[in-house]
Amino acid sequence: MKKLIIALMVLLLATTAVFAGGAQEAAQSDDVMVVFVPKLTGNAFFEAANDGAQAYAEKIGFTVRYDGSPEASVANQVTVIDNAINSGADAVVVSSVDATGLDDIMKEAMKAGVKAVTWDSDVSGDARTVMVSQGTPDILGKMLVDMLADSLTERGKNPATDPIKYVWHYSQATVADQNSWRVAGEAYIKDKYPNWINVNPSNYYSEQDAEKAITIGEAILMAYPDIDGIICNDSTALPGQAQAAQNLGMDENDVSITGFAPPNSMKNFARADVLARWGLWDCQIQGALGCYLGYYLASGNDIRVGDKIDVPDIGVVEVFPNTVLDANAYTADDSGVVLLPERAVFTTENMDNYDF
Amino acid sequence: MRSTRSLKDIVFRWESFLIALLLVEVLVFGLINPRFLMPRVLFGSINNFMTISIVALFVTFVLVTGGIDIQSGAIVGLTSITIGILWNDLGMNLYLALVVGLFIGIICGALSGFFVAYTDVQPMVVTLGGSFLYSGIALLLTNFSSTEAYKGISGFPDEFTQFVRGRIFGVIPHQLIIFLVFVLIAYILLHKTKYGRYIFLCGVNRHAAEYCGVRTKLVVMSTYVLSGLGAAVAGILLTAYLGTAKTDLGKEITLPVITAVVLGGTSNLGGTGGVIGTALAAVVIGILRFGLSLANVNTQYLDIPVGVLLVLAVAIRFSAGNPTVQKIISKLRKRSANP
Repeated sequence: MKKLIIALMVLLLATTAVFAGGAQEAAQSDDVMVVFVPKLTGNAFFEAANDGAQAYAEKIGFTVRYDGSPEASVANQVTVIDNAINSGADAVVVSSVDATGLDDIMKEAMKAGVKAVTWDSDVSGDARTVMVSQGTPDILGKMLVDMLADSLTERGKNPATDPIKYVWHYSQATVADQNSWRVAGEAYIKDKYPNWINVNPSNYYSEQDAEKAITIGEAILMAYPDIDGIICNDSTALPGQAQAAQNLGMDENDVSITGFAPPNSMKNFARADVLARWGLWDCQIQGALGCYLGYYLASGNDIRVGDKIDVPDIGVVEVFPNTVLDANAYTADDSGVVLLPERAVFTTENMDNYDF
Repeated sequence: MRSTRSLKDIVFRWESFLIALLLVEVLVFGLINPRFLMPRVLFGSINNFMTISIVALFVTFVLVTGGIDIQSGAIVGLTSITIGILWNDLGMNLYLALVVGLFIGIICGALSGFFVAYTDVQPMVVTLGGSFLYSGIALLLTNFSSTEAYKGISGFPDEFTQFVRGRIFGVIPHQLIIFLVFVLIAYILLHKTKYGRYIFLCGVNRHAAEYCGVRTKLVVMSTYVLSGLGAAVAGILLTAYLGTAKTDLGKEITLPVITAVVLGGTSNLGGTGGVIGTALAAVVIGILRFGLSLANVNTQYLDIPVGVLLVLAVAIRFSAGNPTVQKIISKLRKRSANP
């Protein structure tokens, strides 16, 4: 028994040493260390964002430590951020799983001198300095409508004069972001294309259910055989709608489908000419920009609302007040939102440059 | 029978091994990253695994009877959201809501405990069903709240959150004191009372216990009630610590809890085990994860060393008691003595 216990101790010691030793080298340099926290690890969106952040950090010359748990939960994120504070990180860049649950730990981080940045999904405005957002409702709503107009023009329609029949198909009436894009998009249509006709102003919802998205998609196409365009501002609705069109033997010359979804989920439909273009923001740039702002703050710079920051290779970004995302948001001079300078429109020509 | 404990007995107890392991961890991690040894940092890390530790203490009772409890994570979430809704949406006094939360834990434990004790359904199946049922109810309850399910209910008064988040002298977290109190309660209950003896007896041989006049069904059921109560306490602490009430709090703790209990020396076959071992093992695992994290190991890989530790430690522990293995060891020893 005694020998066994000693053997076990030695073994454990060795395992620990191997694990720790391998990782220790990374922390040796005097670099600024940014801890980049996803909602969960192993998800295509977050892994792609990390790839972008790592490549960018290497170019600029700071260290990004990607640290998250395979399970998305508030407690896990609190532990990760707490460990980041304790291990002497200079900044944390977090996509929060909860709108308020990380507020306290983020405030604690700021108190301990660790810079707090969010990206993709925000915490309360007073619990971080800056948020890297994919875009305001106005930007994203306009982008959706413009993509549809481009596809229509491409197949010989004239969006400016033809009575274009269109409809919205997305997840549900209760989600904040997708509805805000639709509202902004509708306002843009009323202003720029008053000749367009929304055949169902109460919209179609498929509740982020992949199967339902196909059923609803087919229902739309059968109910309105002469429909010109369908806007799917939801990453489950878009592939479902494309599948529905394919099932009914339709392609991009019969109906223009567009919306938001990661490129990988749509490449096959684009190759089969079911749809011409769709969009999303580039999450690799979003990850890189978030980490850069963490590094920028940790290097002794201040970020104030109204500042313009020149981000190498990404461009000049402006710090807006939190109200650009939500009119009721907390406002303060030292808490703002940075918008991604550009969003990506994918077509068969450029889609293979993106892998997420 | 051992009437007096010799020094040798104490040294070779499993708990002593765990303490030694803990010291080794502190030493190794302290050498790797001196920040680890800062009292504020070291004690602060405890906050992050107290939920698992407290739940594990009472799940030990269930494993001693030969059962298993995989519903505790769901009860943590249900307690949390119930408190949040009662306080935030129904305007109930917060402390009254906490008491209701504890009762919810007791009721959930009693319901599953009843089915385990009074029917022949496997505890694993009953508590698996329980975990779906209770986390489902927790989601259902959010319909009564003005807050969307994906957002937590926050804004709890400071006196509630600070009671859990606070630190004595700015160093020792209140949660550690609360944990030690529960270790003491659980220790007395399991190791110093007649009720505790009955629990062990049920685990060793339920029929024999029954013939001795122990109301085994009631005893078995009561262990699930205790474990439900432990989960409810953990739910309250986690709600206060995070400052948010959410349905999915605690969903990831189920297997870490079982890990702590088993590493602590409690057999999943029942009959042997102890509260002190569980408490030590929970801390050993927590410190291992924290130390590796400070040594820059990515959080998503921290399950690997914990898995290695669990399998190796338990395998060695069990094989050490196996007569064949003992024979081989003594043979090896003889051979090395007479080359």
